Amino acid sequence: MNVPIADYVTLASVMFFIGVIGVIVRRNPLIMLMSVELMFNAANLLLIAYARLWLQNVGHIFAFIVITVAAAEAAIGLAIVVTTFRPEKYVDVDDIRALHG
Amino acid sequence: MTHQALGVVGSYPLLVALWLLPLMGAVICWTFGPQLRATAGWLVSGLVGASFLLAVLCWHDGTQSAAGLVGANQPLFSWMTGFDFGLLLDPLSLLWTFIITGVGFLIVFYSIGYMRGDPAFARFFAYMSFFVFAMLTLVLSDNFVGLLVGWGLVGLASYFLIGFWFQRPTAVAAARKAFVINVVGDVGVMFAIFVIIANVHSIGFGAAFGAAGTLGPGIVLTICIALFIGAAAKSAQVPLHTWLPDAMEGPTPVSALIHAATMVTAGVYLIARCAPLWNVSHEAQLVVGTIGGLTALLGAILGTAQWDIKRILAYSTMSQIGYMIMGVGTGAYEAGIAQFFTHAFFKAQLFLGAGLMIHALSDEQDIRRMGGLRKKLPFAFWVMLLGVLSICGVPGFSGFFSKDEVIYGALQHGHPWLDGIGIVTAGITAYYMFRLFFVAFLGEYRGEAPVHAGGPGSWIMNVPVAILVVPSVAIGGALLFGGDASPWAHFFAPLFAAQGRPMTPVAPVTPAISENLTSAIVVIVVAIGFLIAWQRYATTAAKRDAVERLRREAEKMPAVLTNLFYFDAAIDAIFVRPAQALGRFCAGVFDPHVVDGAVREIVAIARGLGALVRSFQTGLLRAYALILVFGAACFIAYYALAGAPH
Repeated sequence: MNVPIADYVTLASVMFFIGVIGVIVRRNPLIMLMSVELMFNAANLLLIAYARLWLQNVGHIFAFIVITVAAAEAAIGLAIVVTTFRPEKYVDVDDIRALHG
Repeated sequence: MTHQALGVVGSYPLLVALWLLPLMGAVICWTFGPQLRATAGWLVSGLVGASFLLAVLCWHDGTQSAAGLVGANQPLFSWMTGFDFGLLLDPLSLLWTFIITGVGFLIVFYSIGYMRGDPAFARFFAYMSFFVFAMLTLVLSDNFVGLLVGWGLVGLASYFLIGFWFQRPTAVAAARKAFVINVVGDVGVMFAIFVIIANVHSIGFGAAFGAAGTLGPGIVLTICIALFIGAAAKSAQVPLHTWLPDAMEGPTPVSALIHAATMVTAGVYLIARCAPLWNVSHEAQLVVGTIGGLTALLGAILGTAQWDIKRILAYSTMSQIGYMIMGVGTGAYEAGIAQFFTHAFFKAQLFLGAGLMIHALSDEQDIRRMGGLRKKLPFAFWVMLLGVLSICGVPGFSGFFSKDEVIYGALQHGHPWLDGIGIVTAGITAYYMFRLFFVAFLGEYRGEAPVHAGGPGSWIMNVPVAILVVPSVAIGGALLFGGDASPWAHFFAPLFAAQGRPMTPVAPVTPAISENLTSAIVVIVVAIGFLIAWQRYATTAAKRDAVERLRREAEKMPAVLTNLFYFDAAIDAIFVRPAQALGRFCAGVFDPHVVDGAVREIVAIARGLGALVRSFQTGLLRAYALILVFGAACFIAYYALAGAPH
């Protein structure tokens, strides 16, 4: 089965923009983190697809690095969410404005 | 340019020792003052006395002459090419050294009695010793910079000693005034040194004097006038004289040593030392001679209007230094120096005599509250009488010979009108000195304070004064009598004949009237001054209602005299007030609006930029994400339109 590269690009773009809109629109930090993960995976999909197309292993290596970073990011992100919202009943990023200038 | 020595170069350890001994005294008294207590006085008089003995031992070195070099030159160290420091002992500096250490010793010794019981006894002797060292530095330096160092240090010592009783606001004000006016003079000397270095590339006296003839009249005139500004400030010449009468706030021995015998004559020394420069500038001589004559006259006139015994003596000092400056300024160097020499003795004697009176009267200085002291203080009476006779120039006394030489010297060097001023001043001098003498010693005692003369230890004060009487009366006749054949002329002859140092600029003219006739005129004028003073203060009628007469005289004193010819007011209006106005302008307008204004503008710009940037910082996480996406979209749009980068 030979899936054309354009299909991969289309799927990755759709996944990426779902992630972007999720980060911008949703106010729940957990959903926002998941949206970020979605964007990572869109990028990973493109890396793997092009590695396959051009027969180069660099794409794979990059994909592994992205996965590693994503894991670390998720761990730190969740930790921040837990410490920031521990006293709150609901989680809403618009409620924290400590960095307001 | 190589070092041009004025004296025979060699090693003279005694000279270095006599220079440094007083410094040692000052350091010891400063360091161990509280432990030394009364010993400080004996220590310092011992060291200054030892310095005097060393000066006597250096007599031969100081007067030797070989191959056009006169005196002893001891190199000390070299700073850079042309900047060699050393000591020079020639007849001129030897004479000054004798006065500084000899008269200095007597006055320091006298101070042991005068300052007895003062809580700052050791501090006083530290300052006195420091002054002697500074003054020796001034006269023994063989270069202009060393001279300037001494010049500044004596000003500092003078400041310390005028303000010695710093609890008195008037003393502090007088000290500050003296220091500021002296600094004006220091700047003048410094400017002269700059001009010399720029033209001669050396600070040595020898180099400057050797080049005097080739420098060009404009440059020499500039140097001379700048040096004279220094001399005028130090030697209380018009219009920089106003500090000297105020300087009488210091203890009386200080007035005797610093503000009569030595420091105030530093200007005379400077001009006599730089004679080769003055000799090639006729204009400079004219300026200096004129100012000297003017000062002699003004000082004498102001002396007639004073009531404070020390202020009378201060104006008399100013007037006598005017004579000296007139002498050295007109080219009659020997005469000017002779006047310095005799004046040091009789003025020190007068001040110390006044000190005896002030001491006995519990610090009373107003002669209106004295009177009748002839019987109460017989020793002071005789001391003051002999001093007054000497300063007035009564024939036979020291003052007669030196004053005569100055007055006749002005005539010889072609300034007949200065000669006239000198004669008139001599008459006024006789008037105000006898006025002081008659009012203080004749008639009845008018004061309230009890007179306590004598007492144990009074010999400490009496002996130095008694010793001073001898030279003050007799040294003029012994040394100055005989014109060109006198010991005085022999002493200075090698110096004046030395190579490249012509001491006489123009051949002296033979005046229409002879020296004897001039002397006779002076004696007659002095007699007239004496008779007027006698008539006003010493007749039986004058003595009977002295209180009333003196009160009337004080009331009727012309305003121009009570205001001291408005010199203080003029200096205030011309220099002090504009300086204060400038200060107020700077503090009130320039600083807040220009200096601070610039800083405030910079701050306002930074703050505005900060406010602009801060408005982006909403703190909303989703807003940041939106901006991020927007930025990324801009990049993508750009490359989509412009094509991919290569």
